[in-house]
Amino acid sequence: MAGGVIMNDAVKRVPRALRMAYIVASVCGVGFFAMSVLLLGVWPGQVLEEQTRKMSPEHPLNLTVSESRGREIYSYEGCAYCHTQQVRYLESDMARFGAPTLAWETRFDYPHLWGTRRIGPDLARESGSHPEDWHFVHLFAPRSVVADSVMPSYSAMFEGSPDRPKQTARDLVAYLETLGRSRELAGPEGEAHARANCNCDKDEMGQMAFHTSELNTNPRKTRRNGAVPVLVAGDGKRGLELYARYCASCHGTKGLGDGPGAAGLHPAPANLAEHKYGLERLSFALTNGIDGTAMPAWRDLNFGDLSALVAAVRSFSVVQQELPADPKTLEAGARVYKANCAQCHGETGAGDGIAVNELRVVPANLQGVRPSLNATLHVLHNGIEGTEMAPWASDGTPNGTGRLSEAEVSAVAVYVRGLYQEGR
Amino acid sequence: MPLVEQKLVYAHGLAAVVMLFVSIAFGIFASIELLLPDLSGGSPWLSWGRLRYDHTQGILFGWLGNAFLAFLYHAVPVLTGRRVTSARLGQWLFGLWNFVIVVPGWLLVLAGFSQPLEWAEFPLIIDAFVVLALLLMAIQFLPPFFARGIEDLYVSSWYIIGGLIFTILAYPMGNFVPELVPGARGAAFSGLWIHDAVGLFVTPLALAIIYFVIPAASRRPIYSHFLSMLGFWLLFFLYPLNGTHHYVFSVIPMSAQIGAITASALLGVDVILVVANLLLSLRGTGWFPRDLPLRFVGTGTVFYLVVSIQGSVQAQMAVNQAVHFSDWVIGHSHLAMLGFATFAAAGGIAHAWQRIPWARYNHRAMVWAYWLLSSGVVIMVINLTIAGMVEARLWQSNAPWLDSVRAARPFWIGRTHSSLLIVAGFIAFLLGLTTGPRGAGLAEGEESVGLETIDEMARRLTYSDAPSPRASRWPGVSS
Repeated sequence: MAGGVIMNDAVKRVPRALRMAYIVASVCGVGFFAMSVLLLGVWPGQVLEEQTRKMSPEHPLNLTVSESRGREIYSYEGCAYCHTQQVRYLESDMARFGAPTLAWETRFDYPHLWGTRRIGPDLARESGSHPEDWHFVHLFAPRSVVADSVMPSYSAMFEGSPDRPKQTARDLVAYLETLGRSRELAGPEGEAHARANCNCDKDEMGQMAFHTSELNTNPRKTRRNGAVPVLVAGDGKRGLELYARYCASCHGTKGLGDGPGAAGLHPAPANLAEHKYGLERLSFALTNGIDGTAMPAWRDLNFGDLSALVAAVRSFSVVQQELPADPKTLEAGARVYKANCAQCHGETGAGDGIAVNELRVVPANLQGVRPSLNATLHVLHNGIEGTEMAPWASDGTPNGTGRLSEAEVSAVAVYVRGLYQEGR
Repeated sequence: MPLVEQKLVYAHGLAAVVMLFVSIAFGIFASIELLLPDLSGGSPWLSWGRLRYDHTQGILFGWLGNAFLAFLYHAVPVLTGRRVTSARLGQWLFGLWNFVIVVPGWLLVLAGFSQPLEWAEFPLIIDAFVVLALLLMAIQFLPPFFARGIEDLYVSSWYIIGGLIFTILAYPMGNFVPELVPGARGAAFSGLWIHDAVGLFVTPLALAIIYFVIPAASRRPIYSHFLSMLGFWLLFFLYPLNGTHHYVFSVIPMSAQIGAITASALLGVDVILVVANLLLSLRGTGWFPRDLPLRFVGTGTVFYLVVSIQGSVQAQMAVNQAVHFSDWVIGHSHLAMLGFATFAAAGGIAHAWQRIPWARYNHRAMVWAYWLLSSGVVIMVINLTIAGMVEARLWQSNAPWLDSVRAARPFWIGRTHSSLLIVAGFIAFLLGLTTGPRGAGLAEGEESVGLETIDEMARRLTYSDAPSPRASRWPGVSS
């Protein structure tokens, strides 16, 4: 057989039909592959499409132009290779991140960003977990707000400081704010609708999608209300260690509110030396964070560690117990307070005025904190940037609005400092 | 006119090693960034995510792709007794693969043009050229098989044909479909390619090398041709069905997940069969054969067994729910790509190198390469596996998330250090290919097992001169 194949006898003895078995096998091979695409790609796709159609709210929000650009950035920076976007149907995932991801929540994801590795936490429920200023500082210098984070710095998305984000940073943060948003917006009605249409009464796993107490269980997520264990002042030495690790990057090593992360945060982190906090107040702030600000909740720390932190925070305070104030000043202060402050800070100063729900940042609970006189006057003169607390003074500062005279400011300062109750 | 285009073997072999160093540099830099996150000073071009994309794409296309091409230029003529389609086409393919796909792909990723899809990170424009290159590869290497007739093909030939054809089919699943099909539905297709990149491209070609080098270097027939073929078809049946095991406990229908998990377990069985056949074929060569290519593929075979069994185990729900998303999986992928595939590829390149009459070859450097690489891989994989278990344990507890990052740090330090062994190993490998006397490879082969010229071997494989039934296992070799 010139140029052809000289087969050995063993092969020659086999009937021709069997010798052609390779053709059968090859066709089968391609068949196997087609089967894999059908069974693991096309068919699940149809099931998921059906689920999406039935369970999705009628008009879920698609991404805006800015959010879509943010998604592009998220894609090409490889964010998905450290942060998954998929809460699995597992108790451990649900406890940490919230409700498992439903098919309809991913309906606008071209391409999907589920990821297969978690170095950082899952972001499927990131919406509402952190305020914008925190995100900017975190992107600019991750370790200034998250101790021991290994996230790269994306400082190139800023003009030199977290206060001056470029459009890329704005887009990216806008996108992060969409993660899990559709389901939050769908609300209890949306959940009920999805549940009624999931066709999963007997499907234990399908049911799990609706089993979490809250959609987003991020332990850092701030809450305006929420059960608070009353902490005690614990081990101060341990507290200072924890403080150095978790708090110093914003509040500063000496508690002066001047850590490296502080610059981009609005409102600025509290100056712990200039304030004296009550136990209840500290317990609340540590457990629930301060809603509307970058102060996250620390619910994932245990009771002992939180108590140790309480001791550490209180140890920074230099605010002294003061002599009782002159009754006349107090009376004048009370009048000013009732007229100007009580709507937000509440009649008794508990931070529960009638306007509270309209405010982005909850007003200070003055029963739970005694600021130093200097700090009080400073706030009255300058307001607090990033909150609804306005400047009230008449002059002496560029922001002076003239709403209160100097005498009124002095009086109300004395009054509010007297609202503090040890233990609150 | 010689059968083998030795210059193309040489060019792809050298390109493979050069690109390997670049890919490793991406990997090591990324691993150091996990230890010193501010190292790159916020430079977008050096940010972790982009380096991570380039690391794996470089290993897949730059290193393994070139290594496989080098091997194919050697093996296809030997297996078929025919020249590849065109040397000119080979030059174009070399240019296309390296200078249109890998290098621009890397740069585009660094510049911020990429896809967030695993094993598919190069941007779409590059993907189009990959499809073109895969088609050209089929044109270059498949006709010799069909011209020869495929009725009594040796198993390596089957793996080459299967690998080339199925990669063309599978590639769009992970690279194009998720751009068109959203979210969970796209993820299902993405899962297919994540596994098929390894299962239908890397594994078949790596196995083709192992099946080729063992009999060629030991001059003993493969243990069982029947087992070889059974293993081959089972592999092509089971591998594509594994895809969904990357998304266990997701919203993808449970029956698809369970199907994939079952296929993963069965795949382990198939691999036991394949590896048993290969190890039985290695009997008599000793634990550490003097012929380094043979030693590399032998160790690669063992890695293949371990990584496949590990894969079967970690696909199971009880294990998967804990270790998924952790460094365990990173260990697994390094055992697959750096252990199994790289050892096979290194063996394949070195084996072909020995048979280039004018190529240099340095036995001592190769011995160093073998030991450095082996120890590096083993240390890295064990280290990452333990890291994964530590992370998994912390994730199951209610410890703060960052605790798992802090706990991983010592292991990440270990990982970066183990990569130094691997770099040293590859430097030795490069020295093995570029120093020493010309033609020393041939001499080494003759010393250990006796070596025939390529033309002789091609004749032996194609025109059977020993018509005994046993000979069909590796036609022409009498046992």
